[in-house]
Amino acid sequence: MGTPRTLLWDWHPGTIPHNVVLDDTAYIETSYSFSLYRSRAPVGLRMGRGASAYNDTIFDVGPDGRVSFGECALAVGVRIICDAEVDIGDYTLMSWNVILMDSYRVPFDPAGRRRVLTQAPVRTPRHLEAEVPARPIRIGRGVWIGFDVCILPGVTIGDGSIVGARSVVMDDVPPYTIIAGNPACVVRRLGTEEINHGL
Amino acid sequence: MEETMTDSTPFAPGRWTDGVLPANARVGLNSLILGDHAFKRFHSRRDLALIIGEHCTMDGVHFALGEEGRVKISDYYYFTSALLLCELELCVGSYVIIGWNATIADTDFHPIAPAERIADAIAVSPLGKGRPRPQLVRRPVIIEDDVWIGPNAAILKGVRIGAGAFVEAGALVTRDVPPRARVIGNPAQIVGEV
Repeated sequence: MGTPRTLLWDWHPGTIPHNVVLDDTAYIETSYSFSLYRSRAPVGLRMGRGASAYNDTIFDVGPDGRVSFGECALAVGVRIICDAEVDIGDYTLMSWNVILMDSYRVPFDPAGRRRVLTQAPVRTPRHLEAEVPARPIRIGRGVWIGFDVCILPGVTIGDGSIVGARSVVMDDVPPYTIIAGNPACVVRRLGTEEINHGL
Repeated sequence: MEETMTDSTPFAPGRWTDGVLPANARVGLNSLILGDHAFKRFHSRRDLALIIGEHCTMDGVHFALGEEGRVKISDYYYFTSALLLCELELCVGSYVIIGWNATIADTDFHPIAPAERIADAIAVSPLGKGRPRPQLVRRPVIIEDDVWIGPNAAILKGVRIGAGAFVEAGALVTRDVPPRARVIGNPAQIVGEV
């Protein structure tokens, strides 16, 4: 395992978990981002070339969770709740207070929620442990996600799409589409000219 | 400080890891409050302004209580970074989960009538020293047992959320939610049952 990895610039006295694979050019602002990280997958978080996680981005990753940031993907204070897979494509930008959750962590049935809550205070550290199947989140290449957006379990967002601020996304989003609203709906598709602009 | 979050032995009474609890707060057996902002905006003068039951976890929370605010929370409550704005009364049942960055407010803080609102703006400004504010509309918020409130959701004044209800992430709840209903959207609409 070698010596624990720390971040030279860190304000938090933590370390980077051993199954986090960071490209030499990737940037994580603080090890506090791993305060709820429990992944035991061979690679629990992979960050590609130039990918970055700023502010209070939190990797709340369960034992089987795998998170991946593509090249130059950017997260500025994003909460990632992952028990299966959260895959973020190259050049995707995510704003503050964005929630990406691939699991509700608790059953819809109130009796089941009681079971999870009864266990929470005896876990180390205290947390809600998944009892329900997770559904992976896949975010394409060059997607732009505005602030306060919630992406719910199972959602796939196509390449080049834009999710307006405060949207709540429950359904898949096709490529090159602007969506907004709570619940989110399609505002318009990008035109061929826009898609090809600057290529 | 960190060790209290990683120690699973029950303790009594409850604690706040980052300071001394206000004298008018009661926190029950094995309940844990984390975060140095928890009581920064706690201004209640009531005898018992905050009552929290047993086995609750409040990981990052703002108890923003006005002078007359009172918050009562039962047992096995779990939330992360919730903002509780209370000028009158907030009651939360047992086995309630509140997601990250959710907001609950029992008042809108400012009046609707423009002239009154201007008077309020002056009263709360640096020029308004001692000037009384217009009467605020305050209505208790009641959250019954077994409710799930998703991250980034907001619950506004006078709302009662029925037992077992499921408030989706990002929902903005302005009206009562029946027991076991699942709501989503802004404003929140019923989309099914759990």
